[in-house]
Amino acid sequence: MVADLYHRLRALLRRGAVDAELDEELRFHLDLDIEKRMRAGLTRGAAARAARLALGGIEQVKDAHRDVRGIAFVESILRDIRYGARAMRRAPAFAATVVATLALSTAALATVLTLGYTLLYRMLPVERPAELVEVAGVRRAFASEQLSTSEAARLQVLGPVSYPDYLAFRTGSRTLSGLAAHYPTAPLFVSVGGLGREVNGAVVSANFFPLLGIRPALGRFFHDDEDRVPDRDRVAVIGSNFWRTWFAASPAAIGARLRINGTDFTIVGVAPATFSGMTSSPIELYIPTMMLRVGYRWCDDALAADCTVLQMIGRLAPGRILSDAAAELPTLAPAAWEHAPRGENSGVAVAVPRGMSTDDEEPRLVRILGAVAIVLLLVCCANLAGLVGAQSAARAHEFAVRVSVGAAPGRLARQLLTESAMLSIAGGAAGVLLSRAFTGALAMMFFAADDEGHPLQYDFSQTPAIALATLGAALVAGVLFSVASATRVVRPPAASRLSRRATARWSSGAWLLGAQAAAAVAMVALAALLGASARTMLRGRNYDASHVALIRVRPRLVKYSADRAQRFQREVVRRLESLPGVDSVSMVGIGSVLGGSSIGVALPRWDAAQRVTASYNEVGPRYFATLDTAVTAGREFDEHDAAQSPPVAIVNETLASRLWPGGGALGATIVVGRIERQIVGIVKDLSLRSRTHDRESWVYTPFWQNPAQVDSRVAIRAAGDPSALLPAIAREVNRVDPDVPIAETITLPSRIAALMRPVRVSATFVGYTAVLAVILTAVGLYGSLAFAVARRTKEIGIRMALGAERRRVLGLVVREGMTVVAAGVAAGLALAAGGARIVGHLLYGSADADWIFYASAAAVVACVGFVASVMPARRAAAVEPLIALRCE
Amino acid sequence: MAGPPSRLELPQGTLDLLILKAIALEPQHGWAISERIQQISNDALQVQQGSLYPALHRLERRGWIKAKWGTSDNNRKAKFYELTRAGRRALDAQTGAWRALTAAVDLLLDTP
Repeated sequence: MVADLYHRLRALLRRGAVDAELDEELRFHLDLDIEKRMRAGLTRGAAARAARLALGGIEQVKDAHRDVRGIAFVESILRDIRYGARAMRRAPAFAATVVATLALSTAALATVLTLGYTLLYRMLPVERPAELVEVAGVRRAFASEQLSTSEAARLQVLGPVSYPDYLAFRTGSRTLSGLAAHYPTAPLFVSVGGLGREVNGAVVSANFFPLLGIRPALGRFFHDDEDRVPDRDRVAVIGSNFWRTWFAASPAAIGARLRINGTDFTIVGVAPATFSGMTSSPIELYIPTMMLRVGYRWCDDALAADCTVLQMIGRLAPGRILSDAAAELPTLAPAAWEHAPRGENSGVAVAVPRGMSTDDEEPRLVRILGAVAIVLLLVCCANLAGLVGAQSAARAHEFAVRVSVGAAPGRLARQLLTESAMLSIAGGAAGVLLSRAFTGALAMMFFAADDEGHPLQYDFSQTPAIALATLGAALVAGVLFSVASATRVVRPPAASRLSRRATARWSSGAWLLGAQAAAAVAMVALAALLGASARTMLRGRNYDASHVALIRVRPRLVKYSADRAQRFQREVVRRLESLPGVDSVSMVGIGSVLGGSSIGVALPRWDAAQRVTASYNEVGPRYFATLDTAVTAGREFDEHDAAQSPPVAIVNETLASRLWPGGGALGATIVVGRIERQIVGIVKDLSLRSRTHDRESWVYTPFWQNPAQVDSRVAIRAAGDPSALLPAIAREVNRVDPDVPIAETITLPSRIAALMRPVRVSATFVGYTAVLAVILTAVGLYGSLAFAVARRTKEIGIRMALGAERRRVLGLVVREGMTVVAAGVAAGLALAAGGARIVGHLLYGSADADWIFYASAAAVVACVGFVASVMPARRAAAVEPLIALRCE
Repeated sequence: MAGPPSRLELPQGTLDLLILKAIALEPQHGWAISERIQQISNDALQVQQGSLYPALHRLERRGWIKAKWGTSDNNRKAKFYELTRAGRRALDAQTGAWRALTAAVDLLLDTP
């Protein structure tokens, strides 16, 4: 076995040496044989002749020797490759087109594969990640209007646990070798010296880093003893990025003091650059769970049983598998979980942490992009089939000659296969490289920041498996379709082998061109629909985002009382309003601007069963003016709607028509939560939901009528560019109280852009596909028609000699092209309508104007098809009958 | 290229056996192997010299023989072939098989 491989490889790689050795051996043989024969009395010449005769011809022996080297197959493939390279040099435009087409389409595929892998499958960059398990509470969710039907189907959501819950699991488990707790989204307001900024921090148990198998880049991680007594050990570990930006990567960082949310900490270690936390939000700072009160301010006692904030990650004990843990851990759940009400932990979920996705919609997005990439690959295949078909037809003469001088048809087929494999591999390899640029662009354009302006970090590096899969796809695409169309050439009808056919219809490839045109129309229409949706939302639907800046102020983090916080809020608004370039300032108390939560609303005499759920927020005076949302009846809140004045509310048009179908909402009484309020205004619908959702009912109450309100998100309407105003805004808020953490200082369009990531990603991706599909259709159409015209020169010449006008010849060819295009456009419109249903959840705004996009898509492809047909048609019409007839 | 009629044509596959036998005692170069086969068989067997070298390469690939460059009696560089351990086993096995075959054929032919 080994000897065989050695000799085969030697024959292949050291071919010259093997040949030289054989030469030498044979010469030696002949010399000895000649000497022997001369000793027997022959003359030198006669001896040499006899010796050669006995050996049987040196060349024959060499040939026979080569045959037993076992590399004939490989050698003939190498020959095919050399021949293929020559063929490509003869038709460089063809080769370049094939490679470019394959590269551009497989790059899209590789990009989707990388995106999907990162979002859904990639494991954590830690030691033996397959042994890790995420342990979480399972809650029955509240059913509410906010949920879409698909969400409502999964009424279970995962929930964090309290510190005592975590201890119960950690001490009880035998299937896990360790269980760590962490709170990965702690907003930590850090100040060192005069510098202050909010960073994304994590509160982690002391065993967190050892369990993941992470070693510090500098210093140490937490000792177990530092995580035993609440509020005692004020130690912090900083992330690698934080170390570079705040300490210039100096070793002096160890032992340095940091003020975190008002408490002083000592830095004991630096996390390695390879690890930035368990989620896509990179962690800059870690503190122990016993310091949870610093990182989490929403519970009176962050370590109490009723404060559920911690997530859990464990490592399977040696020999244990996931199902062992999944069977054991539910038995360790605290007894209180058994009768937990809706919205609280009642079960246990165990899963291997995979993928960086935090969004339930992302698997669907990846599936959609995958389908688009496959459509693109099919378009590419159809195009290649046409291209290769035309190319092989052009080479038909060459093949016919080779067949007639004795080449086996199988040999020719293998030659063609080798050539297309070479082109496919080149195209696939280029695609793999190109997709790295694509994923880089994707990460930069869409995955760089979340909707609060915090940086995100995704590992979009390409894996060898993805590169191989991409190469495989390129090979399948290139080779299959080349073979399909090449077989026609290798085995042409016997009679026409050497006689060039006078006329050739190109209708055999027509359906492929039609399919390309159909895909092009569908992709252009979908790209337009998605692009328009993204643009609608970025600009604003019943709001105008373009001039709005945002900032979040969080006095709660520094333990402001409600009273002090409200004084602070008033001062913030007053100062911001007096900034030059600011038109108006308002704020929301719940969630974010344009967002909110939900609440039960009712009419005064309704019983509890009749209550409906509506979206809800507490908004400041001039909220709708700041967003440029029309108040269709009544007024919006002003300074007089305060804690002491009568409770009031504003409803949107949908809620108004739902509760008062006959009108009369204005001035009516509505129960919001438990408080009766008078409706003082009706506003246009404000929603960030796509068109597959029902219209949302909204109710707004005055920010100043909730005396318990502490934190807020502020919206500032600027006269000019809102991003230019951001530094001044942050400065003004800092002036009121430099200790109050501020965050999310971004513009409304950048926030919406992050929220609209799925539609923006798909619009970009489908747009890319659409452009490519249109170009490929045009190239395919032009190529096929030009080829047909060239082959029909004689026919056209005869027609013209018999009196056909040039105009009619032109029309003939154009009609031929446009018939295919028209059929493709019709099919494409149907495809587009089907596709629009699939991406319905990504489409925003009214569907009334959608026909414009369909019509434009049809028009674009028809125009491109027309131009691609006219160019070869003009060449046909320019045929001079006499010259054409003389050609033959 | 048929040899003189007085000599026996080599049955298919027996050349390998003869080569193995020819180098069983000591390493030999190609010409010596062909000479040795003819000498021992009293010139009764005709080894087509040209087929010797492909056969040698085939045996090398099979791992039965090993080639080494050495110096011949007349002080020239020559390629010497020797049996490997596997080659010796193969020689024994093939010799046995050959004996059994010829015995069986003899038996068949001797039957009246």
